[in-house]
Amino acid sequence: MSKPIRLILGSAGAMALALALSACGGGGGGQNAATGGGKQGGAATVLMGTAPDFLDPAQGYTTQSAEATWITYTPLLTYKHAPAPQGTELIPGLAQSLPQISPDGRTYTLTLRKGLVFSSGKPVKASDFAYTIQRAIKANWGGKSFFTGNIAGASAFDKGSAKTISGITTDDATGKITIKLVKAYGAFPNVLAFPAAGLVPKGTPTRNLSASPPPGVGPYMITKVTPNRTFTLVKNPRFVGLDIPDIPKGNLDRITVNITSNTQSEAQQVLNDQADAFDAGDTLPPALLSQIQSRAKDRFSKETIPSTFYFFLNTRLKPFNNEKARQAVNYALDKRALSRLASGFLDPECYFIPKGLTGHPDAPCPYGDPNQAPDLAKAKQLVQQSGTAGTKIVVWGQMRSPRREYVDYYTSVLNKIGYKATPKIISDETYFPTIGNAKTRAQTGFADWIQDFPNPSDFYLLLDGSAIQPTNNQNFGLVNDPHIQSELARLNKVPTTKLGSVAKDWQALDQYVAGKGYVAVYGSEKLPKFLSSRLNFDAAVFHPLYLNDWSSWSLK
Amino acid sequence: MATQPAAADTAPPPAVERFAGDEGPRPAAGIGPYRLAARRLGRNRVALAFGALFLVIVALCLCAPLYARHVAHTGPNDNHVTDTVLVGGEVRDVVSPQGIPTGPTWHGRFLLGADANGRDIAVRLLYGGRNSLEVGFVATALTMVLAALIGLLAGYFRGPLDGVLARVLDLIWAYPAVLLGVALGTALALGGLNLGLFKLSGNSLLVPAVIIGVVYVPYVAKPIRGQVLGLREKEFVDAARTQGMRSAQIMSAELLPNVASTLIVFLPLIVANAILLEAGLSYLGAGVQDPNPSWGTMISDGIRLIPSAIHLTLVPGVMLVAAVLGINVFGDGVRDALDPRAQVRLEH
Amino acid sequence: MVRFVARRLISMALVLFAISILTFLIVQAIPNGDPAQRLAGRTSTPETVAAIRRTWGFDKPIYVQYAITMKKVFTGTVISYHQQVNVLGEIRRDLPATLSLSIGAGILWLAAGVGFGLFSAITAGRFTDRALTALSLVGVSTPVFLVGAVMLYLLAFKLGIFPNGGYVPLTQDPIQWLYHLLLPWTALSVLFVGIYSRVLRSNVLDTINEDFVRTARAKGLAERRVLVHHVLRNSMVPIVSLWGLDFAAVIGGGAILTESVFNLQGVGQYAAQSIGALDVPPVLVVTMFGAFFVVMLSAVVDVLYAALDPRIRLSG
Repeated sequence: MSKPIRLILGSAGAMALALALSACGGGGGGQNAATGGGKQGGAATVLMGTAPDFLDPAQGYTTQSAEATWITYTPLLTYKHAPAPQGTELIPGLAQSLPQISPDGRTYTLTLRKGLVFSSGKPVKASDFAYTIQRAIKANWGGKSFFTGNIAGASAFDKGSAKTISGITTDDATGKITIKLVKAYGAFPNVLAFPAAGLVPKGTPTRNLSASPPPGVGPYMITKVTPNRTFTLVKNPRFVGLDIPDIPKGNLDRITVNITSNTQSEAQQVLNDQADAFDAGDTLPPALLSQIQSRAKDRFSKETIPSTFYFFLNTRLKPFNNEKARQAVNYALDKRALSRLASGFLDPECYFIPKGLTGHPDAPCPYGDPNQAPDLAKAKQLVQQSGTAGTKIVVWGQMRSPRREYVDYYTSVLNKIGYKATPKIISDETYFPTIGNAKTRAQTGFADWIQDFPNPSDFYLLLDGSAIQPTNNQNFGLVNDPHIQSELARLNKVPTTKLGSVAKDWQALDQYVAGKGYVAVYGSEKLPKFLSSRLNFDAAVFHPLYLNDWSSWSLK
Repeated sequence: MATQPAAADTAPPPAVERFAGDEGPRPAAGIGPYRLAARRLGRNRVALAFGALFLVIVALCLCAPLYARHVAHTGPNDNHVTDTVLVGGEVRDVVSPQGIPTGPTWHGRFLLGADANGRDIAVRLLYGGRNSLEVGFVATALTMVLAALIGLLAGYFRGPLDGVLARVLDLIWAYPAVLLGVALGTALALGGLNLGLFKLSGNSLLVPAVIIGVVYVPYVAKPIRGQVLGLREKEFVDAARTQGMRSAQIMSAELLPNVASTLIVFLPLIVANAILLEAGLSYLGAGVQDPNPSWGTMISDGIRLIPSAIHLTLVPGVMLVAAVLGINVFGDGVRDALDPRAQVRLEH
Repeated sequence: MVRFVARRLISMALVLFAISILTFLIVQAIPNGDPAQRLAGRTSTPETVAAIRRTWGFDKPIYVQYAITMKKVFTGTVISYHQQVNVLGEIRRDLPATLSLSIGAGILWLAAGVGFGLFSAITAGRFTDRALTALSLVGVSTPVFLVGAVMLYLLAFKLGIFPNGGYVPLTQDPIQWLYHLLLPWTALSVLFVGIYSRVLRSNVLDTINEDFVRTARAKGLAERRVLVHHVLRNSMVPIVSLWGLDFAAVIGGGAILTESVFNLQGVGQYAAQSIGALDVPPVLVVTMFGAFFVVMLSAVVDVLYAALDPRIRLSG
C-alpha cells in the first residue's frame, strides 16, 4: 500500500495530478476512502429519539454517543469504516500499525503516527494517550473496568494510591507507547479501540465537557451543543491534511443532530425528506412501517447487528436452578412471537454468541428451529418432570417498548407451561441496577447485550462466574459452571487478531451453554437504516458497532 | 374565599364554591331534605339515564370473568401473538409479522380486536374497567373518610390542631398533583411500600388508589371545615354540649349528618376525577401496573400504535369517557337535587 | 394587608420547605434507587460505584445530602445525575415552551369558557344551551392525552394540516410557533372550557334574578347593556379567581400530560422524564418551582378577589 504512494510522490508531475484529483475529488466520485468518496460539502440533519448520554468521550457509553464520538475522537486502534462483516476488522487509527504483542500476551507496543494534530491545532503526543486513559478513569467512564481491570497500575491510579498509571509508558520523542497488562487479555486491542480511548490533549479538564467537547483527532468536531436538544458536527479542517489511510475524511460539511423524543414524527420527517436520517438506535414506529416500506423502499433497510436478546434464568433460585425447568423455557418460547412484538426487528435465534461474530455455532438449535412453532408439549412435560410446576415466578422487565411486551408475552408462556408468573415492569433507568443487585433475588427477566467489540469474550462476560458481584452484576442468572470457567480462562487470552484459530472452541462452548439452558435466547436485534432521498443510500455505511457512519454520507 | 385550584389536567369540578360558605343548620334528625332531593332527582330523567349508563358499565365490568370464560375463551393476560382467527371465512393473523394487531372481528373471539401482545381487547376492557373503577372507588372512599375527618377535627377544635391540619392540606394542595402522583407512583411501583403491618406490593391497585385518594383530600376537606366552623356556633351544638355529649359524639352524631350532603355532592365528582387521574398517571407510567390492565394503561399502550390500530386507543377511550360522563351527569343531577337554588335555575 | 402578606409569605415558605423534604424523601429513599449504581453504568465494578458514591456525597446521611442539594439549588449550581447538566439551565431552556402553552391555553379557555357560558345562559333551556352543556360535560369527562392523541392522529398524521407535535420558539419563527401550539392549546383548554362555561352559566343565571339586575332592567336599560355591565361583571368575579388558580396549577406541573403528548419539551415533560429516570435534582427543583407558582398565584388571587369583592375580608 505505502509503496505505490511513495512512487507517485516521487514525480512532480504525478503529484500535481494527485492534487488536482483531490481538489475535485467529490465531483469525480472516485471511491477513495481518503477523500470520503462522495460529493463534497452540504449539510444533513439527523433526528435522534434518545439523546447521547454524554458527548465527552471520557464519559459517553451509549450507541448514540458513540455514533458521534467515533468520528471525532480517533483512538490508537479503530475499526474499518465498512458494513458488516469487514466493519468489525481492527485497523490502526492514530497508531502506525496494529500493536506488537509480547509472547506472554501482557505487553503491547504501539507507535503514534507522525505529524498528527488535534482539531485545536495542538500536535498529538504519545503522552496524550496516557492522559486520555487517566481522564476516562477519573471521569468514571461506564466501561472503565476494561482499563482498571487490565492495565497494570490502573486500579491503583483509580483508587488514588498512584499519581499515574504505571503500566503505560510513553515517549513523546519517538511516539512509542508501551502498555503492560496484569494478565493476558485477548480482547485488549478492542479495548484500545473504544471511543473513550480516543485521544484528547493532555491537560483537558476531567469534568464533564459534554456541553463543549474537547478537541480530538477525527474527520469531524462536535460544536454548538445544547444538551438534550441539539448538537452539530462540522468538518475538522486539520484532519484533511493528516495521513491516516482507511479513515474517511468525510463528505458533508455539517451534520446537525436534533433530539426529538417523538419517534413517530421523527420517522415522518425522514419519510417526507424534511430531515435526513432516522437514528438507528431508535425503534421505528410499527404503525409507519408499511408506509416506509412502500414509499421509501430504496432508502430503508433492516440491519442485523451482533446482539443477543434473552431472558436470564437464575440458576441459584427456584425453579431455574433445575436444568429441566430451564430447558422447558427454551422449548416453550415462540421466537416468531417475540419477533412480531418487535415489529419484525428481531432475528429469531437460540445461541448466545450472535450471528456475525466469530464463535456463533452452525449447528441446528437444540430446541427446534427458532423460525418454527415451539414444542409446548415437550416444555410442559419437562416442567412436570422437574417437579417445579406451580412455582411462583416474578418476571422482571423494562418499561420501554417492545421490551415490556416481550416480558408480558414471556409471563404468559410461563403460565401456560405450568408456573404462576407475574410480570414486574420497572423504569428503564433503574432496571439493570435492580436486577443486578443480589438483594433483589430476581428469578428471571429481560436481558440483552449489544456488542461492545467484536469478540465473543465480550458476550461471555455475562456468563462468567468470576464476574459475579453483589451490585451492578451482569451475570444475572448467577451462572457459575466449571466447564465455562476453564474454557474462558483459555479462550479469553487469545488475541482478537487470532480469533479464527479458536472459532471451533467458542462454538463448542456456546452449544454447551445452549444445551444446559443457562439462558433463554430468542434473537438478535435488527436496526433500521432509514435515510432521506437526499443522501446517497448505497454509499452510506451501516457499521456493525457504531451504526450509521456519518463520515460516509454524501449528498446525491 | 374558598375556590380551589383545579388539579390542572384533571380538575375537580367547581361545585366546591357553592358549599363552601356557612350554611344554615339542617335539622339533623329528619330525612325530609333527602327525600325531597330524591324526589327531585327522580324527575331528572337525563341524570337518571346517565346514572343508569354508569351502572350498566359497572355491571358489565363485574361480569368480566363470565365473558372471558364463556364468550372469548381467553383470559385478560393470555397472549395469542402467533395465533390466527377466523373472520368471515378468512383466516387472519391476530398480530401481523409487522406487529400490527387485528381490528374488531365482531365475533366472540377478539370481538373488539387484539392488542400488540395478541390479547383480547374486549376481555381486557372489562377487566381493565374493574381495575379503573376499583381505583376510582377506593380513592374516593379514602378521600371522603380523610376529608370528613380532617374537616370535622379542624373545624370543631380550631386552634393549633386546625393550624396544623390546614398546613397539611396546603401542602397536599400546593404539591403539583400530577407530579406527586407520578413521583410516588414510580417510586412505589419499583419497590412497593413496607410500613410494618401495612404492606403494599408495587403492582397493587392500592398504590394508585392511595395516591389519588390523598391528592383530592383538600378539595373536600376545606369546604367541610368551613361548614363545621359555622355549625359549631349554632344552638343545637351548644345544646348537645350542655347535655354532656363528648366531642367525638357531637362530631359524629350532630355535625357529620349536617355536612353529609356536601359529601354526597362530592362523591360522584371525585369518582369521576379519580378515574381520569388514574388514566393520566397510567399514561405517564405511574398508574396501574402490569399485569393488571386499566382503561388508562390500555389507552396509553394504544397511543403508540394509533396510526395502524386506532381501535386500541378508541375502545378503552370511549368506554372511559362514557363511564366518567355517566357519573358526571348523574353527579350534576344529585347536586341540583340537593341544592336549594336548583329550582331557581330550573325556571329558565 | 401587610399582616396578611407577611403571614402568607411565611406559610408559603413553610409549604415549599415541606414539599422539598417530601420530594427528596420520595425520590431518594426508594429501594434500589441508589443513584451511584445508575450513574456507574451497566458494567461497573463495586469500586467504581463506591468512588461515585464518594464524589457525589451519596455516602453521607440523608439530611446532609438534602442540605447540600438545597444549598446547590439556591446557589444555582445544582447538577442532574443524568447527563450531569445544570438543572436551572435546563428549566430556563424549557420554560418558554411551558409558558407559551399555559398562557395561550389560559387565554383560550377563559375566552371560550366565558363565551360559551354566556351564550348558554342567554339561550338557557333551548337547544344551543343543551348542546353546549352536553359538550362541556363531555369536555370535563375526557382525559387530555386522549384528546391530544386523537387530534394529532386526525389532524396531523391523517390530514397533515398540523405539525405532528414539537415546539418552535417564538423568537425563531412566530408563525411556526403559533402553528405548533394551536393543537396543544385546544387540547389543554377542552377540560377548562367545560368547567368555566358551566360555572359562568350558573353564575349568570343566579345574577340575572338578583334585585339590582331587575332594577336595571326596570329602568329600561338595553338588554345588552344590562348583560355586560351588570350580569357579566358580577358573574366574572369567581371566574377570575378560578382562572388564576388553574393557571398556576397548569404552569406548576399541570401541563405535564399535554406537553408529553405533543412533545413540547417544556418543564413538565422534563419533569416527567426526570421522574422516569429517578433523577433527584431536577425532580426536586421542578416540583418546588411548580409549588411556588401554585402558592404564589393563589396568594395573588386572594388579594385580587378581595379587591374585586369588598365583602371578602382577608385572613391569613
